[in-house]
Amino acid sequence: MRVSFENVVQRFRVIRERPDTLREVFTRVFKRSSHYRDFEALKGLSFEVGDGEMVGIVGRNGSGKSTTLKIIAGVYRPTSGMVNVRGKVAALIELGAGFHPDLTGRENIVLNGLLIGLSKREIRAREERILEFAELGEFIDSPIKQYSSGMILRLGFAVAMEVDPDILLIDEILAVGDAAFQQKCLTRIDEFRRRKTIIYVSHSAASVRELCSRALLLHEGALVADGPPDEVMAEYGELLQHAVVS
Amino acid sequence: MRSLVLEILQNRELIWALALKELRVRYKRSALGFLWALLNPLLTMVILTIVFSTIMRIQVDHYAIFLLSVLLPWTLFSQSLSYAVESIVGNGELLKKIYIAKSVFPVAAVLSNIINFVFSLIPLLILLLVLRFPFHWTWIYLPVPLLGLVLFALGCSFFLAMANVFFRDVAHMLQVILSAWFYVSPIIYSLDFLPARYRIFFRLNPMLYLLNGFRLAIYYGLLPSLQSAAASLGCGALGLFLGYSIFRRYQDSLVFYV
Repeated sequence: MRVSFENVVQRFRVIRERPDTLREVFTRVFKRSSHYRDFEALKGLSFEVGDGEMVGIVGRNGSGKSTTLKIIAGVYRPTSGMVNVRGKVAALIELGAGFHPDLTGRENIVLNGLLIGLSKREIRAREERILEFAELGEFIDSPIKQYSSGMILRLGFAVAMEVDPDILLIDEILAVGDAAFQQKCLTRIDEFRRRKTIIYVSHSAASVRELCSRALLLHEGALVADGPPDEVMAEYGELLQHAVVS
Repeated sequence: MRSLVLEILQNRELIWALALKELRVRYKRSALGFLWALLNPLLTMVILTIVFSTIMRIQVDHYAIFLLSVLLPWTLFSQSLSYAVESIVGNGELLKKIYIAKSVFPVAAVLSNIINFVFSLIPLLILLLVLRFPFHWTWIYLPVPLLGLVLFALGCSFFLAMANVFFRDVAHMLQVILSAWFYVSPIIYSLDFLPARYRIFFRLNPMLYLLNGFRLAIYYGLLPSLQSAAASLGCGALGLFLGYSIFRRYQDSLVFYV
């Protein structure tokens, strides 16, 4: 078992006008009005992912896929429920996660490596392979804020691969790469998945069918289907059709 | 508290990298670069010395040393707080995408200023040579008040870094508070300058106990009493305990407000 969710609820306070100065807090007290509502992104989600599985998570926008990944990555602490994650996690959740815009590509490799939990020595040992995979050439010594999204993706992916995590989280970002790089990534993922656990969020039915042994369908924060990709994608298709019709 | 020590140990390389980055960014693109770490306290001291010993006629032997011995640790404290207060908000984008132990940022802010402080001791030493002021053996005592001051600065930094996420005014208020605190603390003057009946109010200021050891060791060449040493370490430990406890309580919700 690598990841287990038990009745996980994630609630966000959506405030229309958040008081971020003390003055607004005081005015709020006197006005006695509440401008917030609680939004439940996950409503009691339970599932388990075993060692070596590659699981796809699909669902409409806003169904809770990214929230789930962020909880696994440790970015969010769930409002309630039990979450168990065993092993080192590398996340390709948002473009440039763990990157600081003012630092150069090279400096960001070190930062990212440290953030994921490697020591400086380990990072230095892998630096060559990372540079090779990312194919950034001399741009590696320019600040990240000057990179295109494709370049950030290449660097992020290269670092995540070399970090050798037990669990890899991938969230819809591969679309940003060109066909050549996407192919390179998919090949690497393929090598990876035999030994590691991968959780893959995507809107591409084809890639989920091709890569994953199992898929989870999320809808409005709840788990609606869990099984082989073909079945789950069929149900997803129905969901989408309902949405278009209504 | 053990969890804090563990967290710091686990993330020590990251904290060190963040502290160095902080210093590099601070002096980037300035012609004099890192020299400012040395020039800043020196220039401040020159101005304050001229104002207070010449214009306002405070009669203190070697006022420059009297002042600098406490000004440098005060700068360590005030700068630590100033950098820490924005440290979490400033790294918000990182926090929203990857897991980082939140304590890392205030700790790195304080650490970068400790490094700055150590470098700023160089102009002090040069000044001692130039003025032919004795270099007392009591300098060896300095790690004790330094520890007390660092602990207290850490405690304040934890609290401020967290508070600023929820209320962005905190950063602005801090500047005003530090300004006032500077004048209420025995930096430009020492407690015996004040009439006896007012001293009791000034004794309520924790800075008195935290900064005292520095002036005694560097300027007077004396070792403080055991009570004094205990007071400075006690203030530090209490400050850290309070600041970190509050920080720990809210650290998981920071990501939603940053």
